[in-house]
Amino acid sequence: MAVEQEVEPTASQSEAILEVRNLQTAFYTDRETIRAVDGVSFDVVPGRTVGIVGESGSGKSVTARSLMRLIDSPGQILQGSSIRFTERGTVRAFAEKFPKRTVDVGKLADKHDPAVLLERPDVDANPRTFGKRDAAEVGLAEILAAGYADDLGIIDDTDCVFVTEGSTDDPTAGFVEVTRTSGEAKRLMRGGRIGMIFQDPLTSLNPVYTVGNQIKESLRLHQGLRGKKATEEAATLLRAVGIPDARRRLKEYPHQFSGGMRQRAVIAMALACEPEVLICDEPTTALDVTIQAQILDLLEEVQEERDLGIIFITHDMGVIADITHRVNVMYAGEIVETAGVEQLFANPKHPYTQGLLRSIPGQQAGEKLETIDGQVPTPNEKATDCRFAPRCPKAFEDCEKVHPESVSVDEADVDHTAACLLYPEELSRADAVEYHRQRGADE
Amino acid sequence: MSRWRYFGLRLLLTIPILFLAMTLVFMITRMGPLDPVTAILGPEASGGASEDIRQRLGLDLPLWRQYIDFMVGLLTFDLGQAWVAAQRGTPVTALIAERAPRTIWLGLWAIMLPIFIGVPLGFYAGLRSNTFGDWIASFLGIVWQAMPNFWLGIMLLAVLRQTRPGNQFDFLPDWYELGPTTESLLGTPDLSFIAIDWFLLVPIPTMFDFFGFLTALKQITPAALVLGSALMVSEMRIGRTAVLEQVNANYVETAKAKGLKGRTIVWKHIFRNASIPLVPVLMSEISILIGGSVIIEVVFGINGIGQLFYQAVLQGDLPVAGSLAFVFAVITLFFNVLQDLLYTLIDPRVGFEQ
Repeated sequence: MAVEQEVEPTASQSEAILEVRNLQTAFYTDRETIRAVDGVSFDVVPGRTVGIVGESGSGKSVTARSLMRLIDSPGQILQGSSIRFTERGTVRAFAEKFPKRTVDVGKLADKHDPAVLLERPDVDANPRTFGKRDAAEVGLAEILAAGYADDLGIIDDTDCVFVTEGSTDDPTAGFVEVTRTSGEAKRLMRGGRIGMIFQDPLTSLNPVYTVGNQIKESLRLHQGLRGKKATEEAATLLRAVGIPDARRRLKEYPHQFSGGMRQRAVIAMALACEPEVLICDEPTTALDVTIQAQILDLLEEVQEERDLGIIFITHDMGVIADITHRVNVMYAGEIVETAGVEQLFANPKHPYTQGLLRSIPGQQAGEKLETIDGQVPTPNEKATDCRFAPRCPKAFEDCEKVHPESVSVDEADVDHTAACLLYPEELSRADAVEYHRQRGADE
Repeated sequence: MSRWRYFGLRLLLTIPILFLAMTLVFMITRMGPLDPVTAILGPEASGGASEDIRQRLGLDLPLWRQYIDFMVGLLTFDLGQAWVAAQRGTPVTALIAERAPRTIWLGLWAIMLPIFIGVPLGFYAGLRSNTFGDWIASFLGIVWQAMPNFWLGIMLLAVLRQTRPGNQFDFLPDWYELGPTTESLLGTPDLSFIAIDWFLLVPIPTMFDFFGFLTALKQITPAALVLGSALMVSEMRIGRTAVLEQVNANYVETAKAKGLKGRTIVWKHIFRNASIPLVPVLMSEISILIGGSVIIEVVFGINGIGQLFYQAVLQGDLPVAGSLAFVFAVITLFFNVLQDLLYTLIDPRVGFEQ
């Protein structure tokens, strides 16, 4: 079953503006189903950077594209996945703009009894979702979160804004369910709330339009700026991302920009939409090292200025150490370890993370660089074992029988979790295995 | 602006090319196997009569003199007079002026097919790649392209003829009675529905007859259909590939990530990029249209410059054949320049040196 993080409401998590829960994205081809992202959960907090790190093929980019709803057929975000945008201003704006697509969860709970709903014979309520729990314990919010509300017919196809207070006029708490957005709501979310910059700045700008044209396009779309005002604002943005002579540069075409300048322009374009969350999908991989450092500095700068929540995706551990506050280590579609950045580097728990950190070049001069043998497998089915076990130096027999759930590594540090049968540390090995088995069965 | 400097350079380059083309025309007509004297007097010509003609045509002069006369003639649009048969003595310029509008009329409607059917169909297929619609369009396109022009022309004529009541295809509307009544499928369209005055190189229509326009259009339709069809298919296939290439480009994903509407992405971002590879194909094939019009004009009995060229070559009428070859070269060059212009307008990277 999906990796479910222990959600302890710590201070940082309660401020989260984007909550990803049990995200599953699969690609269906004639030959096989590829579960590229298989139960990923994490939070994005304003002013902080959450890193997603892993080898090629671990599902980092698919995670990012899922958040942007950029997954096209034959890919699909599976039912039960939840991407909640909880930033208040956004929820209010969406509730105002789409009153017909807004659901008052409070009113809905008055109307429907979860216990009755789950007894309905026409609904295949996945027993694994609610486990052996008594129907009375399951709240309506959970049913919504699990994605069954649609099947049950208690919400419409297009509903995507959920508010919890009685009145929809002033929703102080609630969320926009990104996986349910469509049409205009989806487009407003893209760019306007969640921006994204891509790996290759050389090709991510349209070669036949000026940089100014492309920035102004964003400004018009999300801020309604046109004409002179838009030009003014676009120049300000270019200056803000460190491009000198902005006025003239606006009139130039992408091919007249160097690689680093282009990435700056792409960042300016993303910022022009005024997003709350910025996804950076390997933004520095295609750039040389000095430019890399400049771009990372720039991202930190704009983050501070705008209180941006950044999701930073990379396979470069050095960059992760440099820019992120919290790190999620991905392997074969799952998050195998998550911790604060210092904690992760000082005290990596999962054997995969340990392997990754050992294979950073340049740490011990003269010694042969360690590698992790083998390749990331392509997950075709739900995991029933540990996907890393075949490559894991610490694997034991049970690793091939029990799927490790994401658990706190020890009692003292609930913020540091790993999906490995070796943990929690305080339990004996047999007890730990049993603990994981039990958790898996419950969910 | 380096784009425009690049364009200026290309424009300048056409001058030596034009000279080269003129020289080639001269060499082919004067040194080729055609003997104008035989052409004029017949194979038995000899003696004084043939000497007389030689002198009159200037063929007794040294070759360099002939060359200079020829070049000066072309440049001043003094293209000489036709030598043979019915048009003997008519200035070539008059011949061309009389027949060129018919060929232009044919080419104009033929080019509508690739532009308004081929390109949109290709873009459609590219945007919906690997769907049923794409599959049908691509399959029919290949079948269509496999049919040679002249064969297609003959088939079309055969079918249209049979649409008369009592014939094999009379379940189709009678072509002869459809719209303006026409006597024959073949023949030259009557372009007198429009009168044009030239004012400082700007054509100003002084008269327009709509019914005459329709008749002329109907007359040219079968020929234009056949002439444009091959081009239509190649534009379709290139358009499809071009769009497919752009749809998966990174900038499209960036545009999506901005929150742009699908329609804006297609019309603003994809189409302009996809049209870049279409320009040279369209332009070079317009030049081929002129060559193709020779066959089509013969098949459809249209008295245009294609047919004029065909007859002139057969009859050894050197001034006409040479002048037309020159005209074709000028047209080809013109479209090359037009292509450079379009390139410069569409693609800002033109002329960019790194």
